Amino acid sequence: MISNKNTASSLVPAGSKLRDNCQIPVNPSILSTRYATDLIIDISGKEPQVRRGKNNEFYIPLGEEEFLKTVPALSEKGFVLISLFCVQDFEESPGFTLFYVFRLKGFTDVFAFMRQVRTETTSVATIFPSACWYEREIRDGFGIEFKDAFDKRRLFLHEAYPEGFHPLLKSFKNRKIQAVQNPEEAYPFKQVEGEGVYQIPVGPVHAGIIEPGHFRFSVIGEPIFNLEIRLFYKHRGIEKLAEGKRPSACVPIAEAISGDETVANAVAFCTAIEKLAGIEVPPRANCLRAILLELERIYSHMGDLSGMITDIGFPKMTTPFLILRENIFRQNELLTGSRFMRGAVDIGGLKKEISDEALLKLYLYSKTFVPEFDSAIAAVRASSSLIDRFSTTGVLKKKLIAPLNLTGPIARASGASYDVRLDHPYGIYKDVPPERTIKTAGDVLSRFEVKAKEVLNSAFLIQKLIASIPEGAVAAEAAGFAVSNIPDGYALSMVEAARGQNLHWIYVRGGLIDRYKVRTASFCNWQAIEHAVLGNIVPDFPLINKSLNLSYAGTDL
Amino acid sequence: MVNPLTYVFRSKVTEKFEFSDIELEALGSELKAEVNQVFGHSLAIRELDSGSDNSTEIEISNLGTPHYDVERFGISFVASPRHADVLLVTGAVTLNMAEAVLKTYEAMPAPKFVVAVGDDACNGGIYRGSYAVLGGVDKILPVDIKIPGNPPSPKEILRGIFALVKKASG
Repeated sequence: MISNKNTASSLVPAGSKLRDNCQIPVNPSILSTRYATDLIIDISGKEPQVRRGKNNEFYIPLGEEEFLKTVPALSEKGFVLISLFCVQDFEESPGFTLFYVFRLKGFTDVFAFMRQVRTETTSVATIFPSACWYEREIRDGFGIEFKDAFDKRRLFLHEAYPEGFHPLLKSFKNRKIQAVQNPEEAYPFKQVEGEGVYQIPVGPVHAGIIEPGHFRFSVIGEPIFNLEIRLFYKHRGIEKLAEGKRPSACVPIAEAISGDETVANAVAFCTAIEKLAGIEVPPRANCLRAILLELERIYSHMGDLSGMITDIGFPKMTTPFLILRENIFRQNELLTGSRFMRGAVDIGGLKKEISDEALLKLYLYSKTFVPEFDSAIAAVRASSSLIDRFSTTGVLKKKLIAPLNLTGPIARASGASYDVRLDHPYGIYKDVPPERTIKTAGDVLSRFEVKAKEVLNSAFLIQKLIASIPEGAVAAEAAGFAVSNIPDGYALSMVEAARGQNLHWIYVRGGLIDRYKVRTASFCNWQAIEHAVLGNIVPDFPLINKSLNLSYAGTDL
Repeated sequence: MVNPLTYVFRSKVTEKFEFSDIELEALGSELKAEVNQVFGHSLAIRELDSGSDNSTEIEISNLGTPHYDVERFGISFVASPRHADVLLVTGAVTLNMAEAVLKTYEAMPAPKFVVAVGDDACNGGIYRGSYAVLGGVDKILPVDIKIPGNPPSPKEILRGIFALVKKASG
């Protein structure tokens, strides 16, 4: 059931209409949804029905004409397309509903345009480039053709999948399928031709202990002229796996999206369910969740920092980072019984209490961690040859951030300020806002500096959280909220994972998950690498790749 | 004339690392003795991700970090399957990776061994029943040793490698 069906004018007091993108007042009481509805009224003369969601998100069903007219205007006004997904037989609407989720800088709300489509529709990828992968994903999942799309290739269904197979259709019940043996057609990579241009194919199996993916370089001499990535080798069918399961059974599925984002995805999934069901998470649980989220950020960033140094051959400087990182894994285990903090987060709070003794140990450890980390960073900064390799390498231009919805530390190293913890605060972050870390050069060095600063900020945040941790229950049920009965409905949630904005959308029907859409930061950020490497030499590719630290598992799902 | 005792009593030139794990050291020396016997002093491992959630890769990488540093025990991770004695496979084997998994195995010289690492590699784990996976490495390759865990810790992985070396010697 939808909680509220409102018109735009009843959402907020009538304010000034959006006229100029540069003059947007940053006022949390005014919603970006309001600006979007004003735009729709301006353009189509019709007032849309706006539905209020459960987690500061809004839903705006639009007719085809209003949709097509409004989307280009949203792009002009600086709205960012942060997700696009399809739901079959949504509520009373048989067929397919596409959800185009947008946000606008400076506003805490997000909204989704809902578009009813048949098996053929039109693409918005020329207006919002980030739509390209989403549309290909929807084509694979549901068989919807975007007839004027500039890229109609398959995305996550490789050649092993038979023609006409669309796993997210309700008519497909999850089961093993017969793979295509010896497929004839090769994936059509973009061909770059000209004198002296040659291709370097890399992967899916790489030389190190890393995840699989394919990179197709077109190179002139040493510099990279074009890079095309092909991923989804690790497609495990995460979204379909969740369908038909009780929400409580899906927490381990959320944790398996990307191993090093276990807590972030578990918190995002649980938050969506909690908002949908009106479950109040106890303050102590919110505080503990933030501690775990920040620990995850620390060990993830530490892996990148050491990896960047390793990839240019400085093992001695890597060592202190690796020692500190292993110590963090061991703290994780002391706190939760798992080095990746698996099974710690649950709907309503945490699965079990974390002892004061373990928290005290973490607090004391963080006090020795900080100076040791500082000295490791100082050694890096003192090496001119290392700085020389990092500086001006793999520049990611700021103008790419909005069109591709690049997020997280890699966007903050290119001048963006966006951080879900601050811009759409959740859990305890409303009360304990982290410091923003922004650099502007957009090169490997900036990404190194942003991540190094974020490690320290997270360590200080953990100290602050432990020092002021509230007493009380860590699970909502103990605090008197029913977690066992999840009502029907839908909700969207976002979390700032180590890599950036992770977005989860769940739709519960009959107490079971009907649709689970996951979009991790890596799904967006992977597309940055094709731009960041241009003009750089091939030997810098591993360094640039590491500085972006993208999850294959989190993208391939 | 050099006094041979100076070799025994001279001090280390490396920085001191205040850490010791008696259990790991014992396992390591046993493993080293076995590797010396069975694999002629060095065991070459090629890691292959057939569709894991990446946590197992992280733990395998951690075997090379200062707390573990398993190269001391005669183990090295090699870049090519052509140089490998052992294929360490993580993941439930996705349909999209099945061909690459087979080709990697075929590229290894005989005798060759396969170790499945992590619950998903052992039996499909949480992905069992999904359209997108075969459901465990043994669906596509002959598996010699399975190391369960979600993910298994570095020490558990090392114990599994030890079990493989024991098994290989018959």
